[in-house]
Amino acid sequence: MRSAKILIALGFVVVAVLLQTTVFQHFHPFGYAPALGVLAVIAVGRLVDAEPALFVAFTGGFVQDLLGGAPLGLWASSLTVVAFVTFKVRDREIAGPIAVLAGVFGLSILGLLTFAVLGTLFGQSIINRPGFLGHLIVPAALNTMLAYPVFWAAQVLLRPSERTWVA
Amino acid sequence: MFPSGRRLDRATALFISLLAVGFLVATFDVRASGESATGVLRDGVQAVAEPVQKGIDVVVRPVVGFIDGISNIAGLREQNERLTAEVTRLEQRLRETAALERRVDELEAINDVEAPEDLPTITARIYSAGVSTFDEVRFIDKGSSDGVIDGQAVMDESGLIGRIDLVTRSSARVRLITDPLVSVGVRIQDTNQTGAVTGQGSELLRLDMFDASEPVREDAIVLTDGSRFPPGIVVGFVNETKAANVGFALRTTVDPSAEFSTLDFVKVVIGWSPLDADPETGDSLVDAPTFTDPGTVRE
Repeated sequence: MRSAKILIALGFVVVAVLLQTTVFQHFHPFGYAPALGVLAVIAVGRLVDAEPALFVAFTGGFVQDLLGGAPLGLWASSLTVVAFVTFKVRDREIAGPIAVLAGVFGLSILGLLTFAVLGTLFGQSIINRPGFLGHLIVPAALNTMLAYPVFWAAQVLLRPSERTWVA
Repeated sequence: MFPSGRRLDRATALFISLLAVGFLVATFDVRASGESATGVLRDGVQAVAEPVQKGIDVVVRPVVGFIDGISNIAGLREQNERLTAEVTRLEQRLRETAALERRVDELEAINDVEAPEDLPTITARIYSAGVSTFDEVRFIDKGSSDGVIDGQAVMDESGLIGRIDLVTRSSARVRLITDPLVSVGVRIQDTNQTGAVTGQGSELLRLDMFDASEPVREDAIVLTDGSRFPPGIVVGFVNETKAANVGFALRTTVDPSAEFSTLDFVKVVIGWSPLDADPETGDSLVDAPTFTDPGTVRE
Protein backbone atom coordinates (compact mmCIF):
# COMPACT_ATOMS: atom_id res chain seq x y z
CA MET A 1 0.00 0.00 0.00
CA ARG A 2 1.34 3.41 -0.90
CA SER A 3 2.51 5.57 1.95
CA ALA A 4 0.37 8.47 0.69
CA LYS A 5 -2.73 6.39 1.27
CA ILE A 6 -1.60 5.49 4.76
CA LEU A 7 -1.13 9.17 5.52
CA ILE A 8 -4.59 9.95 4.14
CA ALA A 9 -6.06 7.20 6.30
CA LEU A 10 -4.23 8.55 9.33
CA GLY A 11 -5.43 12.07 8.53
CA PHE A 12 -8.96 10.72 8.26
CA VAL A 13 -8.78 9.26 11.79
CA VAL A 14 -7.18 12.42 13.22
CA VAL A 15 -9.86 14.63 11.65
CA ALA A 16 -12.50 12.35 13.16
CA VAL A 17 -10.90 12.81 16.59
CA LEU A 18 -10.75 16.59 16.14
CA LEU A 19 -14.42 16.67 15.15
CA GLN A 20 -15.21 14.54 18.18
CA THR A 21 -13.59 17.09 20.51
CA THR A 22 -15.24 20.11 18.89
CA VAL A 23 -18.60 19.28 17.29
CA PHE A 24 -19.73 16.95 20.01
CA GLN A 25 -18.87 19.24 22.90
CA HIS A 26 -21.95 21.24 21.82
CA PHE A 27 -24.15 18.55 20.35
CA HIS A 28 -25.14 15.68 22.61
CA PRO A 29 -27.77 13.40 21.08
CA PHE A 30 -29.47 11.62 24.01
CA GLY A 31 -26.89 13.19 26.31
CA TYR A 32 -24.02 11.25 24.77
CA ALA A 33 -21.57 11.61 21.91
CA PRO A 34 -20.57 9.04 19.30
CA ALA A 35 -17.07 7.58 19.29
CA LEU A 36 -15.90 9.00 15.98
CA GLY A 37 -12.32 7.81 16.41
CA VAL A 38 -13.51 4.23 16.74
CA LEU A 39 -15.83 4.61 13.75
CA ALA A 40 -13.06 6.09 11.61
CA VAL A 41 -10.78 3.17 12.47
CA ILE A 42 -13.52 0.71 11.51
CA ALA A 43 -13.97 2.56 8.20
CA VAL A 44 -10.24 2.44 7.49
CA GLY A 45 -10.01 -1.19 8.60
CA ARG A 46 -12.63 -2.16 6.01
CA LEU A 47 -10.63 -0.68 3.16
CA VAL A 48 -6.91 -1.13 3.73
CA ASP A 49 -4.59 -4.03 4.42
CA ALA A 50 -4.05 -5.32 7.92
CA GLU A 51 -0.62 -3.82 8.67
CA PRO A 52 -1.43 -0.28 7.49
CA ALA A 53 -4.79 -0.46 9.29
CA LEU A 54 -3.06 -1.46 12.54
CA PHE A 55 -0.47 1.29 12.13
CA VAL A 56 -3.14 3.91 11.41
CA ALA A 57 -5.27 2.72 14.34
CA PHE A 58 -2.38 2.79 16.78
CA THR A 59 -1.10 6.19 15.65
CA GLY A 60 -4.59 7.69 15.48
CA GLY A 61 -5.34 6.29 18.91
CA PHE A 62 -2.12 7.78 20.22
CA VAL A 63 -3.17 11.20 18.92
CA GLN A 64 -6.53 10.66 20.60
CA ASP A 65 -4.69 9.87 23.84
CA LEU A 66 -2.65 13.04 23.51
CA LEU A 67 -5.79 15.14 23.03
CA GLY A 68 -7.69 13.50 25.88
CA GLY A 69 -7.38 13.14 29.61
CA ALA A 70 -6.51 9.47 30.02
CA PRO A 71 -2.98 8.00 30.22
CA LEU A 72 -1.21 7.70 26.89
CA GLY A 73 -1.49 4.38 25.09
CA LEU A 74 -4.99 3.41 26.18
CA TRP A 75 -6.85 4.63 23.10
CA ALA A 76 -3.91 3.52 20.94
CA SER A 77 -4.29 -0.04 22.25
CA SER A 78 -8.09 0.05 22.06
CA LEU A 79 -8.20 1.27 18.47
CA THR A 80 -5.54 -1.29 17.52
CA VAL A 81 -7.83 -4.02 18.87
CA VAL A 82 -10.73 -2.56 16.85
CA ALA A 83 -8.64 -2.46 13.66
CA PHE A 84 -7.46 -6.03 14.13
CA VAL A 85 -10.95 -7.42 14.72
CA THR A 86 -12.34 -5.31 11.86
CA PHE A 87 -9.77 -6.85 9.55
CA LYS A 88 -10.73 -10.31 10.75
CA VAL A 89 -14.46 -9.90 10.24
CA ARG A 90 -14.60 -7.54 7.28
CA ASP A 91 -15.11 -10.21 4.65
CA ARG A 92 -18.38 -11.16 6.32
CA GLU A 93 -19.91 -7.87 5.21
CA ILE A 94 -21.19 -9.73 2.22
CA ALA A 95 -24.23 -10.59 4.35
CA GLY A 96 -25.62 -7.11 3.69
CA PRO A 97 -26.16 -3.72 5.27
CA ILE A 98 -27.78 -5.05 8.43
CA ALA A 99 -24.71 -7.17 9.10
CA VAL A 100 -22.50 -4.15 8.44
CA LEU A 101 -24.44 -2.02 10.92
CA ALA A 102 -24.47 -4.84 13.47
CA GLY A 103 -20.74 -5.14 12.94
CA VAL A 104 -20.22 -1.41 13.51
CA PHE A 105 -22.29 -1.59 16.68
CA GLY A 106 -20.35 -4.60 17.97
CA LEU A 107 -16.96 -3.19 17.05
CA SER A 108 -17.81 0.16 18.66
CA ILE A 109 -18.80 -1.66 21.85
CA LEU A 110 -15.56 -3.61 21.63
CA GLY A 111 -13.46 -0.45 21.28
CA LEU A 112 -15.19 1.38 24.11
CA LEU A 113 -15.17 -1.70 26.36
CA THR A 114 -11.46 -2.29 25.70
CA PHE A 115 -10.75 1.32 26.62
CA ALA A 116 -12.90 1.01 29.74
CA VAL A 117 -11.13 -2.17 30.87
CA LEU A 118 -7.66 -0.78 30.17
CA GLY A 119 -8.59 2.55 31.75
CA THR A 120 -9.80 0.81 34.88
CA LEU A 121 -6.62 -1.25 35.02
CA PHE A 122 -4.64 1.98 34.82
CA GLY A 123 -6.61 3.69 37.60
CA GLN A 124 -9.25 5.64 35.69
CA SER A 125 -12.28 4.13 37.52
CA ILE A 126 -14.36 3.75 34.37
CA ILE A 127 -16.17 0.43 34.71
CA ASN A 128 -17.63 1.18 38.14
CA ARG A 129 -19.18 4.47 37.04
CA PRO A 130 -22.95 4.77 37.32
CA GLY A 131 -24.56 4.49 33.90
CA PHE A 132 -21.53 2.74 32.47
CA LEU A 133 -23.61 0.63 30.09
CA GLY A 134 -25.14 3.80 28.65
CA HIS A 135 -21.65 5.06 27.90
CA LEU A 136 -21.09 1.90 25.86
CA ILE A 137 -24.42 1.36 24.16
CA VAL A 138 -25.51 4.88 23.19
CA PRO A 139 -22.22 5.95 21.55
CA ALA A 140 -22.14 2.59 19.75
CA ALA A 141 -25.72 3.19 18.53
CA LEU A 142 -24.78 6.70 17.39
CA ASN A 143 -21.78 5.23 15.57
CA THR A 144 -24.14 2.84 13.81
CA MET A 145 -26.29 5.76 12.68
CA LEU A 146 -23.24 7.61 11.37
CA ALA A 147 -21.63 4.54 9.82
CA TYR A 148 -22.65 4.94 6.20
CA PRO A 149 -21.72 8.65 5.85
CA VAL A 150 -18.33 7.93 7.43
CA PHE A 151 -17.82 4.82 5.28
CA TRP A 152 -18.68 6.84 2.20
CA ALA A 153 -16.12 9.52 3.14
CA ALA A 154 -13.47 6.85 3.76
CA GLN A 155 -14.31 5.19 0.46
CA VAL A 156 -13.94 8.47 -1.41
CA LEU A 157 -10.59 9.22 0.23
CA LEU A 158 -9.02 5.79 0.20
CA ARG A 159 -10.28 4.26 -3.02
CA PRO A 160 -10.36 7.10 -5.52
CA SER A 161 -9.35 4.81 -8.38
CA GLU A 162 -12.69 3.06 -8.21
CA ARG A 163 -14.48 6.30 -8.99
CA THR A 164 -12.61 7.00 -12.22
CA TRP A 165 -13.73 6.09 -15.73
CA VAL A 166 -10.49 4.30 -16.49
CA ALA A 167 -10.06 1.99 -13.54
CA MET B 1 -11.52 -15.31 5.29
CA PHE B 2 -7.87 -14.23 5.47
CA PRO B 3 -5.70 -13.55 2.43
CA SER B 4 -2.99 -15.99 3.47
CA GLY B 5 -1.59 -17.68 6.53
CA ARG B 6 1.67 -15.81 6.25
CA ARG B 7 -0.09 -12.44 6.05
CA LEU B 8 -2.18 -13.29 9.07
CA ASP B 9 0.95 -14.12 11.00
CA ARG B 10 2.53 -10.79 10.17
CA ALA B 11 -0.63 -8.92 11.10
CA THR B 12 -0.98 -10.82 14.36
CA ALA B 13 2.66 -10.23 15.24
CA LEU B 14 2.27 -6.51 14.54
CA PHE B 15 -0.97 -6.45 16.53
CA ILE B 16 0.67 -8.02 19.57
CA SER B 17 3.69 -5.74 19.25
CA LEU B 18 1.54 -2.62 19.11
CA LEU B 19 -0.48 -3.76 22.11
CA ALA B 20 2.75 -4.30 24.04
CA VAL B 21 3.95 -0.83 23.06
CA GLY B 22 0.60 0.64 24.13
CA PHE B 23 0.85 -1.02 27.54
CA LEU B 24 4.44 0.15 27.98
CA VAL B 25 3.55 3.73 27.07
CA ALA B 26 0.55 3.69 29.40
CA THR B 27 2.64 2.30 32.25
CA PHE B 28 5.36 4.87 31.63
CA ASP B 29 2.83 7.71 31.48
CA VAL B 30 1.08 6.65 34.69
CA ARG B 31 4.40 6.24 36.50
CA ALA B 32 5.59 9.62 35.24
CA SER B 33 2.25 11.23 36.22
CA GLY B 34 2.12 13.18 32.98
CA GLU B 35 5.59 14.69 33.51
CA SER B 36 8.79 14.07 31.52
CA ALA B 37 8.67 13.10 27.85
CA THR B 38 5.00 12.21 27.76
CA GLY B 39 4.07 15.58 29.24
CA VAL B 40 6.20 17.40 26.68
CA LEU B 41 4.65 15.34 23.89
CA ARG B 42 1.15 16.06 25.14
CA ASP B 43 1.89 19.79 25.40
CA GLY B 44 3.26 19.80 21.85
CA VAL B 45 0.27 18.03 20.33
CA GLN B 46 -2.14 20.23 22.30
CA ALA B 47 -0.37 23.31 20.97
CA VAL B 48 -0.58 22.02 17.38
CA ALA B 49 -4.20 20.92 17.65
CA GLU B 50 -5.39 24.01 19.50
CA PRO B 51 -5.71 26.40 16.52
CA VAL B 52 -7.39 23.68 14.46
CA GLN B 53 -9.85 22.89 17.23
CA LYS B 54 -10.55 26.59 17.79
CA GLY B 55 -11.13 27.05 14.06
CA ILE B 56 -13.56 24.13 13.89
CA ASP B 57 -15.25 25.37 17.05
CA VAL B 58 -15.80 28.84 15.57
CA VAL B 59 -17.45 27.33 12.49
CA VAL B 60 -19.42 24.64 14.26
CA ARG B 61 -20.67 26.56 17.31
CA PRO B 62 -23.38 28.65 15.58
CA VAL B 63 -24.50 25.78 13.36
CA VAL B 64 -24.84 23.35 16.24
CA GLY B 65 -26.55 26.04 18.29
CA PHE B 66 -29.11 26.56 15.55
CA ILE B 67 -29.77 22.83 15.14
CA ASP B 68 -29.88 22.36 18.89
CA GLY B 69 -32.38 25.20 19.19
CA ILE B 70 -34.71 23.63 16.64
CA SER B 71 -34.49 20.21 18.23
CA ASN B 72 -35.27 21.73 21.61
CA ILE B 73 -38.52 23.41 20.56
CA ALA B 74 -40.51 20.26 21.28
CA GLY B 75 -39.17 20.12 24.80
CA LEU B 76 -39.72 23.79 25.60
CA ARG B 77 -43.15 23.34 27.18
CA GLU B 78 -41.91 20.72 29.59
CA GLN B 79 -38.83 22.78 30.28
CA ASN B 80 -41.00 25.83 30.98
CA GLU B 81 -43.02 23.94 33.57
CA ARG B 82 -39.87 22.61 35.17
CA LEU B 83 -38.31 26.08 35.26
CA THR B 84 -41.44 27.56 36.84
CA ALA B 85 -41.20 25.03 39.64
CA GLU B 86 -37.49 25.73 39.87
CA VAL B 87 -38.10 29.49 40.17
CA THR B 88 -40.51 28.90 43.03
CA ARG B 89 -37.94 26.75 44.77
CA LEU B 90 -35.17 29.27 44.16
CA GLU B 91 -37.27 32.14 45.47
CA GLN B 92 -37.66 30.19 48.68
CA ARG B 93 -33.92 29.58 48.76
CA LEU B 94 -33.25 33.25 48.02
CA ARG B 95 -35.19 34.25 51.10
CA GLU B 96 -33.15 31.80 53.15
CA THR B 97 -29.95 33.01 51.52
CA ALA B 98 -30.67 36.64 52.31
CA ALA B 99 -30.62 35.82 55.97
CA LEU B 100 -27.43 33.83 55.56
CA GLU B 101 -25.79 36.65 53.59
CA ARG B 102 -26.37 39.05 56.42
CA ARG B 103 -24.76 36.55 58.77
CA VAL B 104 -21.82 36.06 56.38
CA ASP B 105 -21.34 39.83 56.07
CA GLU B 106 -21.11 40.09 59.81
CA LEU B 107 -18.66 37.19 60.01
CA GLU B 108 -16.52 38.55 57.19
CA ALA B 109 -16.37 41.90 58.86
CA ILE B 110 -15.24 40.24 62.05
CA ASN B 111 -12.79 37.77 60.58
CA ASP B 112 -11.75 39.71 57.49
CA VAL B 113 -12.39 36.59 55.39
CA GLU B 114 -12.54 37.18 51.70
CA ALA B 115 -15.38 35.59 49.76
CA PRO B 116 -14.39 33.63 46.65
CA GLU B 117 -15.86 36.38 44.49
CA ASP B 118 -13.08 38.66 45.68
CA LEU B 119 -10.37 36.47 44.24
CA PRO B 120 -8.87 37.59 40.95
CA THR B 121 -10.10 35.55 38.04
CA ILE B 122 -9.65 35.46 34.30
CA THR B 123 -12.40 34.65 31.88
CA ALA B 124 -11.77 31.82 29.44
CA ARG B 125 -13.78 30.09 26.80
CA ILE B 126 -14.09 26.35 26.31
CA TYR B 127 -13.11 25.35 22.80
CA SER B 128 -12.79 21.60 23.05
CA ALA B 129 -14.10 18.64 24.99
CA GLY B 130 -12.62 15.25 25.75
CA VAL B 131 -12.16 12.57 23.13
CA SER B 132 -14.91 10.30 24.40
CA THR B 133 -17.85 10.18 26.76
CA PHE B 134 -15.51 8.69 29.37
CA ASP B 135 -13.32 11.78 29.23
CA GLU B 136 -14.41 14.31 31.87
CA VAL B 137 -12.19 17.14 30.65
CA ARG B 138 -12.54 20.44 28.79
CA PHE B 139 -9.95 22.65 27.14
CA ILE B 140 -9.91 26.43 27.63
CA ASP B 141 -8.29 29.16 25.55
CA LYS B 142 -6.14 30.58 28.34
CA GLY B 143 -2.77 29.20 29.37
CA SER B 144 0.42 29.93 31.24
CA SER B 145 0.88 33.27 29.44
CA ASP B 146 -2.36 34.40 31.07
CA GLY B 147 -1.32 33.29 34.55
CA VAL B 148 -2.98 29.89 34.53
CA ILE B 149 -1.11 27.24 36.50
CA ASP B 150 -1.71 23.64 37.44
CA GLY B 151 -4.22 23.11 40.25
CA GLN B 152 -6.21 26.33 39.93
CA ALA B 153 -9.96 26.20 40.39
CA VAL B 154 -12.31 26.76 37.46
CA MET B 155 -15.87 27.95 37.97
CA ASP B 156 -18.75 29.50 36.14
CA GLU B 157 -21.63 31.63 37.35
CA SER B 158 -23.35 28.63 38.93
CA GLY B 159 -20.41 27.14 40.79
CA LEU B 160 -17.34 24.95 40.69
CA ILE B 161 -16.47 23.28 37.38
CA GLY B 162 -13.13 21.61 38.02
CA ARG B 163 -9.43 22.24 38.29
CA ILE B 164 -6.61 22.88 35.87
CA ASP B 165 -4.49 19.78 35.37
CA LEU B 166 -2.49 20.55 32.22
CA VAL B 167 -1.23 23.89 30.98
CA THR B 168 0.35 24.98 27.73
CA ARG B 169 1.31 28.53 26.82
CA SER B 170 -2.09 29.46 25.40
CA SER B 171 -4.45 26.73 26.55
CA ALA B 172 -5.19 24.57 29.54
CA ARG B 173 -7.03 21.39 30.35
CA VAL B 174 -9.76 21.43 32.99
CA ARG B 175 -10.54 18.17 34.75
CA LEU B 176 -14.20 18.38 35.70
CA ILE B 177 -15.42 17.59 39.21
CA THR B 178 -17.48 14.79 37.64
CA ASP B 179 -14.24 12.88 36.96
CA PRO B 180 -13.72 10.02 39.44
CA LEU B 181 -10.11 11.19 39.82
CA VAL B 182 -11.23 14.53 41.26
CA SER B 183 -12.11 14.87 44.92
CA VAL B 184 -13.28 18.13 46.48
CA GLY B 185 -13.17 18.93 50.17
CA VAL B 186 -16.57 20.38 51.02
CA ARG B 187 -18.75 21.57 53.86
CA ILE B 188 -22.53 21.64 54.11
CA GLN B 189 -23.65 25.25 54.38
CA ASP B 190 -26.40 24.87 56.95
CA THR B 191 -24.61 22.48 59.33
CA ASN B 192 -20.97 23.32 58.57
CA GLN B 193 -20.11 19.62 58.58
CA THR B 194 -17.25 18.67 56.27
CA GLY B 195 -16.80 15.84 53.82
CA ALA B 196 -15.50 15.00 50.39
CA VAL B 197 -17.29 15.09 47.07
CA THR B 198 -15.98 12.75 44.39
CA GLY B 199 -16.91 12.53 40.74
CA GLN B 200 -18.59 9.40 39.45
CA GLY B 201 -18.33 10.01 35.72
CA SER B 202 -22.02 10.79 35.67
CA GLU B 203 -24.32 13.68 36.45
CA LEU B 204 -24.34 13.07 40.20
CA LEU B 205 -21.38 13.44 42.54
CA ARG B 206 -20.78 11.25 45.58
CA LEU B 207 -20.63 12.88 49.01
CA ASP B 208 -18.81 11.06 51.81
CA MET B 209 -18.84 12.39 55.36
CA PHE B 210 -16.81 10.37 57.82
CA ASP B 211 -17.66 12.10 61.06
CA ALA B 212 -21.15 13.44 60.45
CA SER B 213 -23.14 14.02 63.59
CA GLU B 214 -26.21 15.53 61.94
CA PRO B 215 -28.21 14.43 58.91
CA VAL B 216 -27.78 16.17 55.59
CA ARG B 217 -31.04 17.29 54.10
CA GLU B 218 -32.08 17.35 50.48
CA ASP B 219 -31.22 20.59 48.64
CA ALA B 220 -28.66 21.64 51.26
CA ILE B 221 -25.96 23.76 49.64
CA VAL B 222 -22.54 22.13 49.37
CA LEU B 223 -19.57 24.51 49.34
CA THR B 224 -15.83 24.06 48.93
CA ASP B 225 -14.06 24.01 52.28
CA GLY B 226 -10.82 25.63 51.15
CA SER B 227 -8.60 22.56 51.40
CA ARG B 228 -8.07 22.00 47.69
CA PHE B 229 -10.16 24.74 46.12
CA PRO B 230 -10.85 28.31 47.27
CA PRO B 231 -13.35 28.25 50.12
CA GLY B 232 -17.01 29.08 49.65
CA ILE B 233 -17.56 28.11 46.02
CA VAL B 234 -20.88 26.34 45.44
CA VAL B 235 -20.31 22.72 44.36
CA GLY B 236 -23.91 21.60 44.26
CA PHE B 237 -26.98 20.61 46.22
CA VAL B 238 -27.57 17.48 48.26
CA ASN B 239 -29.70 15.17 46.16
CA GLU B 240 -31.06 12.91 48.87
CA THR B 241 -31.54 13.33 52.61
CA LYS B 242 -29.38 10.97 54.64
CA ALA B 243 -29.19 10.45 58.36
CA ALA B 244 -25.92 10.18 60.24
CA ASN B 245 -25.18 6.88 61.96
CA VAL B 246 -22.59 6.97 64.68
CA GLY B 247 -19.55 4.96 63.63
CA PHE B 248 -20.51 4.84 59.98
CA ALA B 249 -19.69 7.14 57.12
CA LEU B 250 -22.57 9.10 55.71
CA ARG B 251 -22.82 8.69 51.97
CA THR B 252 -25.23 10.43 49.63
CA THR B 253 -25.22 12.13 46.24
CA VAL B 254 -24.86 15.74 45.20
CA ASP B 255 -26.41 17.38 42.19
CA PRO B 256 -23.69 19.68 40.78
CA SER B 257 -24.72 23.30 40.43
CA ALA B 258 -22.96 23.62 37.07
CA GLU B 259 -24.52 22.36 33.87
CA PHE B 260 -21.57 20.59 32.28
CA SER B 261 -23.17 19.88 28.92
CA THR B 262 -23.64 23.59 28.16
CA LEU B 263 -20.39 25.05 29.44
CA ASP B 264 -19.11 27.98 27.42
CA PHE B 265 -17.39 30.79 29.33
CA VAL B 266 -15.69 29.93 32.59
CA LYS B 267 -13.52 31.70 35.14
CA VAL B 268 -10.15 30.52 36.35
CA VAL B 269 -9.37 31.59 39.88
CA ILE B 270 -5.77 32.70 39.42
CA GLY B 271 -5.23 34.26 42.82
CA TRP B 272 -5.52 31.14 44.88
CA SER B 273 -3.71 27.87 44.87
CA PRO B 274 -3.88 25.05 47.42
CA LEU B 275 -0.10 25.22 47.68
CA ASP B 276 -0.40 28.84 48.75
CA ALA B 277 -3.31 28.38 51.09
CA ASP B 278 -3.29 28.78 54.80
CA PRO B 279 -3.89 25.27 56.15
CA GLU B 280 -6.17 26.61 58.85
CA THR B 281 -8.37 29.05 56.99
CA GLY B 282 -7.85 28.22 53.33
CA ASP B 283 -7.03 31.87 52.66
CA SER B 284 -4.42 32.73 50.06
CA LEU B 285 -1.00 33.50 51.50
CA VAL B 286 0.37 35.11 48.34
CA ASP B 287 -0.70 37.91 46.08
CA ALA B 288 -2.10 37.27 42.66
CA PRO B 289 0.39 37.03 39.75
CA THR B 290 1.81 40.40 38.78
CA PHE B 291 1.25 40.21 35.01
CA THR B 292 -1.25 42.53 33.41
CA ASP B 293 -4.02 41.10 31.34
CA PRO B 294 -7.07 42.93 29.97
CA GLY B 295 -9.21 39.87 30.63
CA THR B 296 -8.38 39.89 34.32
CA VAL B 297 -11.30 40.91 36.45
CA ARG B 298 -11.67 41.49 40.12
CA GLU B 299 -15.24 41.18 41.17
